[in-house]
Parts: sequence; structure tokens; C-alpha cells
Amino acid sequence: MSRPGFVLEVDERTPALLMHQGEGFRLEKLPLGSRVVYPPESLPGLRDVDARIREALLNPLGSEPLPDLLHAGMRLTIVFDDLSIPLPQMRTPDVRQRIIEQVLEMAAAAGVDDVELIAGNALHRRMTPAELKRTVGERVFRSFFPHHLRNHDAEDRANLVEVGHTKHGEVVEINKRAATSDLIVYVNVTLTAMSGGPKSVSVGLASYRSLKHHHNVHTLRHSRSFNDPPNSAMHHSYHRMAGVLDEHVKIFQIETSLNNDTFPTQLGFLNKREWEWTLKDQAAYLAVKRANDLTPAKQRRQIWHRTAAPYGITSVTAGDPGAVHEVTLQHVLRQQLTEVNGPSDIGIWGLPYICPYNVNSIMNPILMMSLGLGYFFNLYRGQPLVRPGGVAIYYHPVSNEFHPVHHPSYIDFYEEVLAETTDPVAIEAKYEEQFATDPWYTHLYRNSYAYHGVHPLYMWYWGAHALEHLGQVIVVGGDRRTCERMGFRAATTLNDALEMAREKVGGSPTITYQHTPPLVMADVR
Amino acid sequence: MGLFREARVLTAGRDWRGRSRTPRSAADHQPPDEPREFPTGWARTPAARVARRGLQRGVLTPLTWSQTRPEVTGREGLDATKGPVVLIANHASHLDTPLILGSLPEHIAKRTAVGAAADYFFDARWRAAATALVFNAFPVERYRSRRLRSLAPQLLARGWSLLLFPEGTRSEDGWMAPLRMGAAQLCVTQGVAAVPVVLRGTYAAMPRGRNWPLPGRPRVVVRYGAPVKPEQGESARLFNQRLGQTVSRLWAEEEMGWYQSLRAQAAGELSMPTGPQAAEWRRMWESTRPVTRPGPPPAWRDGA
Repeated sequence: MSRPGFVLEVDERTPALLMHQGEGFRLEKLPLGSRVVYPPESLPGLRDVDARIREALLNPLGSEPLPDLLHAGMRLTIVFDDLSIPLPQMRTPDVRQRIIEQVLEMAAAAGVDDVELIAGNALHRRMTPAELKRTVGERVFRSFFPHHLRNHDAEDRANLVEVGHTKHGEVVEINKRAATSDLIVYVNVTLTAMSGGPKSVSVGLASYRSLKHHHNVHTLRHSRSFNDPPNSAMHHSYHRMAGVLDEHVKIFQIETSLNNDTFPTQLGFLNKREWEWTLKDQAAYLAVKRANDLTPAKQRRQIWHRTAAPYGITSVTAGDPGAVHEVTLQHVLRQQLTEVNGPSDIGIWGLPYICPYNVNSIMNPILMMSLGLGYFFNLYRGQPLVRPGGVAIYYHPVSNEFHPVHHPSYIDFYEEVLAETTDPVAIEAKYEEQFATDPWYTHLYRNSYAYHGVHPLYMWYWGAHALEHLGQVIVVGGDRRTCERMGFRAATTLNDALEMAREKVGGSPTITYQHTPPLVMADVR
Repeated sequence: MGLFREARVLTAGRDWRGRSRTPRSAADHQPPDEPREFPTGWARTPAARVARRGLQRGVLTPLTWSQTRPEVTGREGLDATKGPVVLIANHASHLDTPLILGSLPEHIAKRTAVGAAADYFFDARWRAAATALVFNAFPVERYRSRRLRSLAPQLLARGWSLLLFPEGTRSEDGWMAPLRMGAAQLCVTQGVAAVPVVLRGTYAAMPRGRNWPLPGRPRVVVRYGAPVKPEQGESARLFNQRLGQTVSRLWAEEEMGWYQSLRAQAAGELSMPTGPQAAEWRRMWESTRPVTRPGPPPAWRDGA
């Protein structure tokens, strides 16, 4: 029986608590009276995932069984979430592979010849052949790569089609192959409440023309939070676009949800509550911490990125996207939601080594901002964990380090744009068009493994709601010059950070630490 | 941060076993204790048996007899007993087990296992190991909270006699509590005889809260009844009632003497010695009254 999440109040019995800090972690003693939001314990995974997948395909929600939708001579497009989900990557076989293999078995039995597989990577970098193979499995890769298994190209004008407009005038433009298929089968992994559902096709296969309607400062500032779809302007836009898509293409959605088994057994202490650490856990902590600190930076990064999560699959649901997503969301919230009584003056987050955009890559300062002020700050329902004008304290080294292949436009954004302003509205007005249409960035996006030129700006917008809401952002252990460039303050220790925060929140602030990963979403009442 | 400093932060607030106290606000979120059965099979190996008899005969029994003045009656009724029996005793003190083990005939004592509260004697491994070695104890679940599988039927099947305290716990005030059904049920289902044992004076000698007998070698009485066999078709409830009557008579024997107690039982005048329905202090007052020997001293003693 998995225990629900809860809010700990730090007392004199509370041992030092674990904080993620980039490609490392540390123990930190929090001030007495601080609150710590713990996620629910990991739910048991499905015992027989393959059987559950088959059952879902044969008994879908709001749709005919998949075999009834397949017939010879049809155009079938299977789209799957790219490597930005889940985080960390799951152990192989990836659940997407398991699902795609069963879908293909059924397609083969029905005599479907025209099958294409597309990674729904939107403006993300292309997945490498090795990454594609890891996601879909050797058998699928061998049968379809490179001609019928590929990445979506949001800049291939010849292979994009404008499906229509929403009543708000939003352009719905997606991958032509998918839009002209008789059936799209979307294979999803819903890691947070933000993912999946109407977002899958309308975002994963979209172009910049379409994405800019919801990936903008105004929409993101009115998405409170990203993980609470009913209160997210971004999701309202997704829904409108999904409505347009529904009129033109048939989508059979297969969604999965995961439990909180984020770290493998040898790092089991990262999944446990600190006062329950056994001697073995403590020895493992010391050994791993010491080894991690002593390992050269490059090898350390490789080790972290090679560490796959032993996730259990908590649900597999198939059928109509709307009906399916409702069920999936329930499973996600059951695993991640913890009720919190009101916001506090200061919020603390330990930022780990990975975010959706640095898988097998470097977490650059912009991505740190997007993870901290975008993803983690938005892990709430109701109201933010920090009161308006409060202070967010993050743990991260914020090194001035970029992956030149994956994040070329990020480098220019950091060096040129942030040197001038950190205001998301000003950035959007002055620079978005330039970055989005820069032919060199577009070339790198299409032919190399670079994120789209506009992506760093989107990452900055991602934190726009937090930047507007917070009075100050302090990064413990952060590089001073990098933090200064981004408008944050760097502190050496937590005590220093709390001292700095006094200017904004007074001498006796209330403090809440959101203990994640594993992911926890605060239901702030 | 160096390893030393890291270790210091890690171990701050933890005890020498690395255990942290549970923060108060986390107390309601602790996982339920996993039922862990302490293995006691090793305590019945030949080597452990030799060690136990050495400890019992060389240390435990002489020590008990040096600190108290035990009087043992009815033991001769067990001399002819063959095969396993279930010894059913009232329980008021930690003296009870050493007194019974020290006064049992040798052929039964060396093949007797003692049922001990799993939640009390088997909660820490060192205590569990010591209890299992010295008393040949096996865990008995008192409150059915951990769903342990009882070892008792297996032990009987292997020829071990059992010493059980069917009240479930030591008396709070020296008087007896009703006998729980477990022991009677065991006798009925396994078809073994029960031997009622009544201890008097142990509460006065070493009640709850004391870990050593009162000074002055207080007198204690260990009274064995004749083995009681469940009859064909007898229910556990009826058998338990019969055991209760025998225990009541043995208890009353202290004040009435053997024959009078028999007559009182026949007349239906005896009931379970649950004490007067009075204020707590009066119940305790009565139960701690020193056990004095009625009448003149016997011509010969039935000592250990």
C-alpha cells in the first residue's frame, strides 16, 4: 500500500533533508517550522503491461477497438512522444515500444501497408537514430528507419498543412502526412498533468505558426498553472485546436502514466523520506555523493544521463483523446498530488540534472530558469506555493555552459538578449520574430540536432508567470555572473539566501520546500 | 564538502544505529510495521538445549530460589506424564516463568517451550535472542495485529510441551483476568492435555514495574493441578470453562486447603479469582497480602 503525500513540518527531530543540485545533491538542514511537501509514495505498477496494452486497444474509451479502425489500403500514422518525456528516460523496453509493437501487430494483421512513424518533437531537436531506436525498439527501428520512421520537421513547408483556424483565429498547422492519414495513433507518456490529451497532436506535430498562439507570454502568464488544465489558458488553446483537428482527422490516442520510481535501486535513497533512511541508504548516500563529487564533470554528466528510471506503468488507456486523457490525469494526480495549506513567503526547490530539453545534453542557464521558474514553480493547483511578492530559492550551479550542437540559439539568446533585458514581454516583442525565422537556426534545427531558433525564448516565457509573481529569485550555489545576467541573485549557503530574502519577506518568513524529484504537485488550498 | 563534514551532516540527529527519530508531523504517515517473525528454531537445537539447561539449572533457578521462598505442590502428578502437555498458568510477574521451569519435573522441563508476547519480548532482536535462548520462548501474537502464524501446533507436533499464560498479559493488580480461548482451542484441536498451574505470591514478590524481587525472600507458591484432557467432542469453550474451574480450585487451595477446596468446588462456591469488585487500591491491597503458610509447617517439604 503506497502512502499518500504529506506536508512535513520541520522540527528538532527532522534530519538534514536531501536537495538536488544539478548533477549532484546535498543534505540541507532547514529552519525549524519550515514545511516540506513530499510526494505520495510510488504506486504499484501494472503487473502485466503487455496484457493491459492489448486490453486497452481492444476495449478503448469512446472509440471502436483499434483492429476495427485498421484496414488494407489505409494510411496509418503512428506518432509518439519524443525524448523530452519521461524524465529521466525509462528503462528499456520503453512503454512506447511495447505499445507501438502491438499496434503494428494489429496493422499487419489488417494488411495495412502504408505506415509511417513520426516522433512528435515539435520545435525540439531531432532525435538521433540511437535515441529513436531506444524509444521504439530494435524491431520497429529496423523495419521503418529511416524512410518511414522519422522526426517531425516543423520547418518543412512542403510537409505541413494548415488544417484550419479556431474561433479565436489560431492557426492549426500540423504535419501533412499525419493530417492526410486515415488514422493517427498517438502513443503518449503522461509524466505531468500538463502533458498528453489535446496537447499531443496539436503541439507535437505543429509548426511555429501554430505554436506561437499558445507559447507566448500572455498565454503562459494566464496559465495558472500549466499543470492545472482547467485553469490554464495554454490548455484552453490546445483544446480549441484539438477541436479543429477532430473535424479533419481521426485520432486514436493511447496514453500511459507512470509511478514515482524515478531512481534505480542503487540510488534508492533519493526515492525515500530521509528519516526512514536505513544504514544502507546512508552508506549509499555517502558513497554516491563522494564518488559523484570526485568524478570529472564530463563523465559525471554521462553517468547521470545513462541512469534510466525503473518506472512502473500505472495506467494504459486508449481511445478518444478527450475521454482517455481524463482517465490518465486521474492516475497522474493520484501519484503526484499533495494537499498544502496555503502559500508561504519563501519557496525552495532543488533542481536536478535534467529537464525536458537537455536529455543527453547540458542543462544550460536558460533551461535552469525554465525548469525552476517554469516547470517546478508550476507544479501547483489552486495557487502558487509562494505568495505574490515572495521569494523562490533554487539549488543549482547555473554554470555558464551550453551544448553547441543542441542549443546554438540559446547561446546567442544568453549573450545578446539577456545582456539587454530579462523582461519576457520586451524579449517577445523585439526578438521572437528574429530568432524564429533566422535561417541558420532553421538550418541547424532541420539538418543538425539543434532546438529551433525560437526555443530559448519559449523557455524564458515558460518562467514568465513566476517572474511576474515572485519578488526575488535566489540560487544557492549558483554562478554569480550567470545569475546576475538572468536577473537572479546567487547565494553560497541557504542561510545567506534566507538573509537576502529578508529584504522582501521580512525577518520571520514562512518557508516551504517542494521535495522533488520524484515529482510532487502541490494542491495549495 | 569533505566526506567527514558530509557524514557529520548526515548523522546529526541520528542514533548510533543510524536511525532518525520520526518528525512529529510525520508520525501519522509512518508505514505500518512489517510483520517480522523472529526465528526461534535455533533455540531448540541440541547445542542450544544444552546451553539453556546449563543457564537454567546453573543460574536462573538458583537465583530465583535464592531471592524467593518457593513452595511447590502437586508436581508429583506430572511424574507419569508422557508426551507433550500445555501448561496453563496465571501470570502476575516475571518470576512466574523461572518458577515454573525450575519446579517442573526434569523430563518435562527440558522439553518445554514458553509462549512469550511477540510485541514485548520479540520487538528487539537482542531481547528476542536472549528470551529464546534462556526460556526456549516462541512468539505469541497477543492482539492479532501482526498476523503471525502460531508456532504452537508445530511445537506440540514435535513433542514439545508448552507453557502458556492464557490471560494474555501480567496482572495489573495481582488478580486473575478471564482465560482467553487460545490455549483451550489448542488443546482441543491438537488433542493434548492441559496442566493448570497456579502461582500465588508472585505479584507481591515482584509486581509489574520491578525487575528484582522484594527483599526478604517472600514466599511464593507454585501449585500444579492434575492434567485435564479434552473429552471427545468437547468444545473449546466448555474445555476452557473446565480449566477455569480447576484454576479457581487451585487458587482457593491456598486459603482452604485441598479437601475444602474440593468441597467448595463441588458445591459450586468457587469462581475465578478476579478479586473483589472494589476500589483499585483495595484490590491491590488484598492481592499483595503476604502469602502466609496456613497452620503448622508440614512434616516434610515438597521443595524444588
